Amino acid sequence: MLAKGLKRKLSDYEENMAGVPGAFDSNPGLPYTLQRQLVLNMCLIKLQSCRMLVEPNLHRSVLIANTVRQIQEEMRQESSHEGSNICNGTSPIPDTFAASQAGIELTGTPSSVQNNSLDLNSSSEFSESQIENSLVVVSDDDMSSAISSILKDLDFMEDISPSPCPISAGEGDISTDISLGDRPHEIKPAETVFGSFEITNSTSYLTDLAFDDIFEDIDTSMYDSDLCLLPLTPARSAPAIVDEVSKPFQLCNSTSVNAIQICRVDLSDLDHIMEILVGS
Amino acid sequence: MMIATVFKTSTPGTNSLMSTSSFDQADIISTVEFNYSGDLLATGDKGGRVVIFQREQESKNRPHHRGEYNVYSTFQSHEPEFDYLKSLEIEEKINKIRWLPQQNAAHFLLSTNDKTIKLWKISERDKRAEGYNLKEEDGRFRDPVRITTLRVPVLKPMDLMVEASPRRIFANAHTYHINSISVNSDYETYLSADDLRINLWHLEITDRSFNIVDIKPANMEELTEVITAAECHPHQCNVFAYSSSKGTIRLCDMRAGALCDQHSKFFEEPEDPSNRSFFSEIISSISDVKFSHNGRYMMTRDYLSVKVWDVNMETRPLETYQVHEYLRSKLCSLYENDCIFDKFECCWNGSDSAIMTGSYNNFFRMFDRNTKRDITLEASRESSKPRAILKPRKVCTGGKRKKDEISVDSLDFNKKILHTAWHPKENIIAVAATNNLYIFQDKVN
Repeated sequence: MLAKGLKRKLSDYEENMAGVPGAFDSNPGLPYTLQRQLVLNMCLIKLQSCRMLVEPNLHRSVLIANTVRQIQEEMRQESSHEGSNICNGTSPIPDTFAASQAGIELTGTPSSVQNNSLDLNSSSEFSESQIENSLVVVSDDDMSSAISSILKDLDFMEDISPSPCPISAGEGDISTDISLGDRPHEIKPAETVFGSFEITNSTSYLTDLAFDDIFEDIDTSMYDSDLCLLPLTPARSAPAIVDEVSKPFQLCNSTSVNAIQICRVDLSDLDHIMEILVGS
Repeated sequence: MMIATVFKTSTPGTNSLMSTSSFDQADIISTVEFNYSGDLLATGDKGGRVVIFQREQESKNRPHHRGEYNVYSTFQSHEPEFDYLKSLEIEEKINKIRWLPQQNAAHFLLSTNDKTIKLWKISERDKRAEGYNLKEEDGRFRDPVRITTLRVPVLKPMDLMVEASPRRIFANAHTYHINSISVNSDYETYLSADDLRINLWHLEITDRSFNIVDIKPANMEELTEVITAAECHPHQCNVFAYSSSKGTIRLCDMRAGALCDQHSKFFEEPEDPSNRSFFSEIISSISDVKFSHNGRYMMTRDYLSVKVWDVNMETRPLETYQVHEYLRSKLCSLYENDCIFDKFECCWNGSDSAIMTGSYNNFFRMFDRNTKRDITLEASRESSKPRAILKPRKVCTGGKRKKDEISVDSLDFNKKILHTAWHPKENIIAVAATNNLYIFQDKVN
């Protein structure tokens, strides 16, 4: 993202309100919730653009995600305190904007957080309404699901120890124009942000792999024999995973009389392993 | 403390008459570092090249050229790589260069990109052998049958040739992007840090490194903090420090355990509630940490300020210097154009009495810790004719702009000075402004 030079003369600055963040900076009188919404939208747009990049910057993504979480947390706390006070639309809406109420839609959903969601279609001349027009107001649900779905696709980071937490099933792509909370998404915590930052093992880091971490509670002694573990070789993509899995389990060729008996034992362990590998 | 006199502006690979807007992206300087004696200055750029400048020796013949830095060696340190497993290109940009102390005639430095660290040997060759028995002077082999006498080859002087050769390649130890390397005071080991891990290497051993810090959570979804910089203590080879994106610094002692996840000291300044904003966390992220030469202090750079900490006091910094406080009201715009994520470095002077860091509009700032005076200077072609004296600059924050002041809104945020270096003994500084390197020296009458 190229840095835009802010070479504007002081006199032109306020007229040239095309820059929404410019409005934020030069207009400290903006209501707090509006400011917060501005910031939140910028964060989401940035996270979305992260998705476009082949290899997003982890540092940057962490900072943006933390900002989103912080705002989310604030909104949650606020809504739990103020309850229905916001519903009557007195606090967040500036008086200048109240005049151009024509296109305002208030969502009447019971979720207290969604009280902050206002679809502002007004085409008022007021500078603040210009800001609000350019806003894409997002509900808490959409926010969390947006983060998680955007970053879930960022399957770019691989690491030594595979994540024990399986990546959740697809939620469907998020469209760029995030609309009101019409979509019935589950509230996913914003913490699913980095679940997609890693895929499992890599062959490059064999030397200091820590298998013990994942498999420490599994007794692998029984698998040292020729136990038929073919179903366990994962149907999932990377051949790298197969290599790693086969190592501790030692798919051997030698036959053993006791194989079948051992097979029956501890199916729960198998289930556990299946879960990890297949990512239920 | 007036720093004056420009010696050289250097744009490796580009015609100096070209305007900065049309330069090659690969020429952007990404790191600057003096060696231990200050005679050599290394720069790394986005194209993976390293250019080393050497200070000219004083000579009676050329009195005006005392102490000029001239190009000594240029070599391609890193090439772009492709990671086939992830289908990602690994940038060749040099993130850091660190010199090793000189132990013989050759010079050694470590250079790193996002994934691989290399140890380079830079050596001079100024003699060549003449009078081989088996070869003619032009290189053709002589017929052994014709050789009737033997002679000892004689060393004859030749034009100085500087060769750089990679001696060690330390690869495949970092999953995430390497942001720091630091040579330990034992001169045998060094550390490398990426976003989540720090590894300790032995300079002789390339196929293995020790992981000494690992802040990766078991569940990546819980990740809220990354490592932003790390440095070894200048004297105690068991101590190192690393900074985080949450504005904290941890001092660790390697004697405590193999894995230094438990810190020995934890430095954090409580946030000023009156300055709280949506961007508080982002601007608190530390972009650089540097120990003072005497090892008693630590300096950290966050987005708006530089802080000097006493290594023994964890609760708050000793000194805080505002670099460009006028940007505090512009944080939203700076967030939008990503400037808020710029990572500025900072450096100490040789005696630890002054510190320097960069800003926007090609400005850089110096703070005298004793007199508490500070100065803003500009590294630009216009104000930096050779042997010109630099004029202090000022940014106007209020309404009335005085002559020669520049208003906040006129600052060019594309011209950022992220990398600066201070000579270890003298008042000579190197400032990297995008693709240009400026070297300034204190005027001595």
